[in-house]
Amino acid sequence: MNQSATAVMDHRHPMPGMQVYNLKLGMWIFLLSEVMFFTSLIGSYIILRFAHPDHWTQPGVVLNVPLTAVNTFLLICSSVTMVKAFACIEQGDQKGLKLWLLGTIMIGATFVGIQAYEYVHLIHEGFVPNFAAYTAEGGNLYGATFYLMTGFHGAHVTIGVLCLIFVLFRAMKGAYTSESYGGVEIIGLYWHFVDLVWIILFTIVYLL
Amino acid sequence: MEAKEHPNQPYILIWVILLVLTLGELGYAFMDLPKIVLAIGLIIMAIWKALLVAIYYMHLRHEPRRMWVLAASPLPLAVILVMAVLTEF
Amino acid sequence: MSTAHLVSSLEGEDRTQPGYTGEEHHELSFIRKYVFSTDHKVIGKQFLFLSLFFLVVGGALAGMMRWQLGFPGQPMPGGGIFPDTMAPGGIILPEFYNSLVTMHGTIMVFFAIMPLLVGVFGNLLIPLQIGAPDMAFPRLNMASFWLAVPAGIVMLAGFLVEGGAAGAGWTSYAPLSTSSEWTGVYLGQQLWVASLIIMGFSSLTGAVNYITTVINMRAPGMTWFRIPLPTWSLFITAILILLAIPILTGGLIMLLFDQTIGTTFFIPAGSGEPLLWQHIFWFFGHPEVYILILPAMGIVSEVLACRARKPIFGYHAMVLAMISIAFLGWIVWGHHMFQSGMNPMLGTTFMISTVVIAVPSAIKTFNWLGTLWRGDIHFDTPMLHALSFVSMFIIGGLSGIFMASAPVDMYIHDTYFIVAHLHYVLFGGSLFGIFAGITFWFPKMFGRMMGEGLGKIHFGLTFIFYNMVFFPMHNLGVQGMMRRIYDPNEYEFLQPLQEMNTFISISVFLLVATQFLFAFNFFWSMFKGRQAPANPWNSNTLEWTVPSPPPHGNFAVMPTVYRGPYEYSSPEVEADFYPQNQPPPQADA
Repeated sequence: MNQSATAVMDHRHPMPGMQVYNLKLGMWIFLLSEVMFFTSLIGSYIILRFAHPDHWTQPGVVLNVPLTAVNTFLLICSSVTMVKAFACIEQGDQKGLKLWLLGTIMIGATFVGIQAYEYVHLIHEGFVPNFAAYTAEGGNLYGATFYLMTGFHGAHVTIGVLCLIFVLFRAMKGAYTSESYGGVEIIGLYWHFVDLVWIILFTIVYLL
Repeated sequence: MEAKEHPNQPYILIWVILLVLTLGELGYAFMDLPKIVLAIGLIIMAIWKALLVAIYYMHLRHEPRRMWVLAASPLPLAVILVMAVLTEF
Repeated sequence: MSTAHLVSSLEGEDRTQPGYTGEEHHELSFIRKYVFSTDHKVIGKQFLFLSLFFLVVGGALAGMMRWQLGFPGQPMPGGGIFPDTMAPGGIILPEFYNSLVTMHGTIMVFFAIMPLLVGVFGNLLIPLQIGAPDMAFPRLNMASFWLAVPAGIVMLAGFLVEGGAAGAGWTSYAPLSTSSEWTGVYLGQQLWVASLIIMGFSSLTGAVNYITTVINMRAPGMTWFRIPLPTWSLFITAILILLAIPILTGGLIMLLFDQTIGTTFFIPAGSGEPLLWQHIFWFFGHPEVYILILPAMGIVSEVLACRARKPIFGYHAMVLAMISIAFLGWIVWGHHMFQSGMNPMLGTTFMISTVVIAVPSAIKTFNWLGTLWRGDIHFDTPMLHALSFVSMFIIGGLSGIFMASAPVDMYIHDTYFIVAHLHYVLFGGSLFGIFAGITFWFPKMFGRMMGEGLGKIHFGLTFIFYNMVFFPMHNLGVQGMMRRIYDPNEYEFLQPLQEMNTFISISVFLLVATQFLFAFNFFWSMFKGRQAPANPWNSNTLEWTVPSPPPHGNFAVMPTVYRGPYEYSSPEVEADFYPQNQPPPQADA
């Protein structure tokens, strides 16, 4: 990274504007656009469900609620390991950072794995996004909105896991210290955001 | 940064509350109450959990109030879009 | 720790040494310096060349459309080069005409005006006007440009695929856009969607960069109400982009799924909701049109104040007006859908909220007039463009109030009256604002002045031909000529309009020809123009306190700001301008 002014600018000390250093403010601003992105997906789900309620069934009839409850539990745990990792690097404990990061990566990957398994199972049951091949209970909008929301959430979790691996890789090379841990903090913010979206998705997709 | 001054963050406590709320949601969802009551209850619990994650895990607690405004700014837009379009159907 | 200290500890070397002229100590290769550059000024120029190219493409598409409307069914001169699927023997086919309409709108909105305003002036002006060495995330800024290029390529690829380019209008309403049944376009429509998704990422990365930079990287003393109006407008526009583009991206993804994997979000046959697409598109769409006009308003406010040698009239009112336009922009989208079978109660709500927007717009308009009042007006080229922005934007704005009321919109919806309105605000407004901006900041970008005489001729001809093209469209619209219509003579009641259409078409060809003057002036002055001093227009803002073109890292010494940007003809100093970073007189003594 060339030594332009920004190398200093994302120095950890808060800046005059928002008392939040550039990297963290930038991530928060990016997360606002992610909120709007999920707004358009979840908003469409709410509107389509309001327009065609007959496409949806009682909770637990088509979708496997216990399995996804475990998945939600896993993602909440991964939020804890992530925040533990951040707490470690704040105190300068690089070993703790690497361990907790690895834990977050493992749990995150497990979450995506469970969701993939759930998808395969559902598709076998005929619960698919497209209109023609939909044979499960309820209507095809149920499948279309389900895969749209949980699919993009899964994609975001996968990207999160890849970024965590990159952060772990840099942590291995000692890039983070108690003075400069911007990278860990922003991947933490992203990860908690993805967990937050799943908390909302789990309720409105599986339990309503 | 400022987080250093509050080393003992209540992470585990929040974790427990989140689990309890999730189990609560699961139990609540399968009670035979009218659909509307179920929906409102579940949504309140979901928002409560979401706020817990945002405030404690995303350290909004230690950020200046302006960051709270920034974090909450897209929500009114989401409500406007969904409410306005819902009047269609 | 003040920013000044932070910056000067930049690379260990003390930048406050006199004679410090930017960071030459690590000489970048040509590729790193001009192609994959992370310098906001170079990225601004890259956006300039990219979007001027697309402006020409959009203009050419418009020229072809006008040939078909002016001389229906006759072979277009030079039309032989087109394959028979588009224009056999030079005669434009209806399907190809639909693609021309769609691609003209999409390319002009997303690839010409938006990058010209947000990409070029956002990158060039924001760091310079707030006293920052560069953007908050320079590499993200580079990624923003290098996402726009593939998006443009994918968009233009639509013309080369079987079935032709997208043909469902720039609004791509479902179910017309979700299947090739009516438009005959299959792959072209999907390329259109994919291109806009990629362009969305480009705009998003830019917006994140602009907002972080303006919030966090202002020079000492640059308080919120000392920020010049162009940067204010670009900051507000970046917030609109940040929150509106993701909504469009979500909608586009659903549209892409409908087109490819057979979901039916918007297809009624599969119990989908076409109205859902319209609501999502226009929930993005209206903030988008404010994204297209706000930066031009900021640029014009700067040029008007500078060339009238008078402080902008009501600086705080201008800023608050822009903020209220941005807020109100979110609750008016339904006025695009009065005829869509939308709930009438909703229609009334949108009518009221739309008419309310006239208030901040009027505040801005009267403030521009107030700025000119008793000013020492220098009628050079940027000022001419800025003045025509004000007058044309007023016509566009007022004609907008016609369609804001639902009952009137019943008659003029999707007619040429709407086309006249949107071209008065987009061409008369944004494009004249862009011309003003390019001629005003050309010295800062390229270190040379643009030709004044040529600039005035280009302005005069463009202004005349522009009005000859778009004013008659009001008449066409009121007489019922539909929008996006291939051949109006199919309808009895539209046949008398043919002469007016031919007149408009000829004016378009003259308008397009005039733009070569600007192109020549632009490229010629880049190399042969008069050498430009640091502050050719005697302006106050920080970008004029550094050499033109500014070195990498912009400010040798982090500027300290003492006053607002519009202290022209201030009693405190004898000169008629008072730069922001000039210490107050008593400090000198």
